[in-house]
Amino acid sequence: MRSLLIWIFLVPVVTNAQDAPSEEKKLEWNGNLDAKYTVFHMAQSSALYRLQFFNFPPSSAYLSQYRIEPYLNADYQARDVGFHLKTHATYFSDDNAAFDLFEAYGSFSPSVSSVIQAGKRVFTWGKGYAFNPVGFVNPVKDPENPELAQAGLLSASFEYVKSFSSPQLQTLSLLLVVIPPTPDFLNRYGEAENTAFAVKASALLWDTDIDVMGFYSKDDQQRIGFDISRNLRENVEVHAEMSYNQSAFRYSIVNGNLSGVRQDQVSYLIGFRYLHESNSTLIAEYYHNGPGLNRGEYEAYLSFLTNAVNSGNGTIVQQALGVQNHFRGNTLMRDYVYTKLIVPEPFDLLYFTPSFYSIYNINDGSFLISASLGYKPATNVEFILWPTVLVGTRTSEFGGRIVHERIEAWMRVFF
Amino acid sequence: MRILFIIPLAILFLQPPTLFAQDANALLKKVDENLMPESYEATRRLINEEPDGSKKEFTFFTIKKGRDKIAMLYLSPASEKGRATLRLGDNMWLYIPNVNKPIRITSLQSIVGGVFNNADLMQLEYHVEYDAVFSAETLDEQILELKAKNNTVAYDRLKMWITKDKTILRKVEAYASSGMLIKTLEFKEDKNFGNGLVRPSVIETTSPLYKGYRSLIIYQRIKPRQFPDEVFTLNYLGRLGELR
Repeated sequence: MRSLLIWIFLVPVVTNAQDAPSEEKKLEWNGNLDAKYTVFHMAQSSALYRLQFFNFPPSSAYLSQYRIEPYLNADYQARDVGFHLKTHATYFSDDNAAFDLFEAYGSFSPSVSSVIQAGKRVFTWGKGYAFNPVGFVNPVKDPENPELAQAGLLSASFEYVKSFSSPQLQTLSLLLVVIPPTPDFLNRYGEAENTAFAVKASALLWDTDIDVMGFYSKDDQQRIGFDISRNLRENVEVHAEMSYNQSAFRYSIVNGNLSGVRQDQVSYLIGFRYLHESNSTLIAEYYHNGPGLNRGEYEAYLSFLTNAVNSGNGTIVQQALGVQNHFRGNTLMRDYVYTKLIVPEPFDLLYFTPSFYSIYNINDGSFLISASLGYKPATNVEFILWPTVLVGTRTSEFGGRIVHERIEAWMRVFF
Repeated sequence: MRILFIIPLAILFLQPPTLFAQDANALLKKVDENLMPESYEATRRLINEEPDGSKKEFTFFTIKKGRDKIAMLYLSPASEKGRATLRLGDNMWLYIPNVNKPIRITSLQSIVGGVFNNADLMQLEYHVEYDAVFSAETLDEQILELKAKNNTVAYDRLKMWITKDKTILRKVEAYASSGMLIKTLEFKEDKNFGNGLVRPSVIETTSPLYKGYRSLIIYQRIKPRQFPDEVFTLNYLGRLGELR
């Protein structure tokens, strides 16, 4: 019996070792730990603040927060087969911690020109730095930190790319994405007919990146769009995006009630990236958010929240918090200008990179201004000091937010 | 009798300058051939040394094909791992794995900090980007003056020292269009990489703009390898690791 067990378990191991292909299988782990300490100067008179802290209002206008965010990634690649995992967790305390599966997908490349991927993965369509009106399958971007890793989309995709030796057309590619319906029934089942499809065709044509994309879903809006990016000079890049959303849902407050209507919307973005000879980079973008609120609509929204808080009724406050879920995001209004200046290693201070950015709301004149001061004194360690100030009247978007100012201190360790 | 000396000298000096340029460009092409195969994969270490003696190290996996396609993947340190850059002629992109998105950058931009910029790390062949003329010569070396063919090239002018016997590059001085010396690259420690390739394995860079700082590129491995064109596309940037 014992020899039989040895034969069953050991022989296949030896056989496999002999028959194993010579290919090198690679499993690599990496990640980082972010420790973030933040002090907030809260806007205690703002409707948003009073709503959030309705039941337990803090006595001080200055609040602090300390959290850690571990990121753990794994990549396995053996010739044409791969597995990729990106995880993230946020830890405030033992009672308040969350785990996010950012990406988990397998890939198979039948040829160097094609790849099939299935699982949960991040798509990043669009050429804009802070905003992406054509990001039909993207996670919602935070314009305050566009380079932050985010959670992907449950999907299956096929991509094909072809290169050409022509000086005009250098590359052509096609990406097809199938997105399963949201599991609304028992949190497991979705209606098959609500499966969504997205497609993107890309080309490098006349030294210009061009993408044309579309999105179709029976229960959601249909969208088409394009983006373009090109170096005008050796130190100037320009980019643009435009999307047309058919029957996009648009929410507003009408006569003190939530109103949702379907409308066709156009959103677009134009921007540039300029590199000065000092190695400083300036990024500027103008963004028109088609379904965004106009000034009157935004004031009606804030007035709705203020009335809910002033009522002193917990039920009405809960209803208002529910309505607020339809107005999530960092850019609720229509027109914005984003500017960012990155000054690597100023005054010959190697490994110190300050950057300064602002988001200006054209519709109400409010703005956010911030500086991110990054320093990498040694390999795999980074410190960031990040003060932010929000300026505007109480009825404006940035002036009416929950905080007046905040300052963050990060320590990042990579492995 | 004097006429016998004058005629060859006259022929030499009355030749159109393009003839000298052609010879200089042919020499420059030979320098390129002796530095790298036309298509290859390579592993390089970049070490930035600071005046206080501290060091920062990066490791790159690089692939190149033909005259105008080169891609580079960061293998270490962990904070940069997975980043990749692609250059197709004058077009250059940077891929950041966190964002999973290639963005257009310029060849002048520094991506690792320190003395190097993209152009140093994503160098195509010299003869592709520069026109050369003979400048001077020493007992052992030929000196070329190089002028950028267009304004997308990182350095407007180069001065280049080449050994006469084996046509091996020994030193390059890089100048801005203003004539200011930006950096000096010295090519050291010849090594046999196999497949008939013997070349300097260390490139030491100093810059008057960063006094006391020094950067070293150490070639660990260079191997001729053919790649399909599709590997040099934005779509493939996130998959470059599959080629290692």
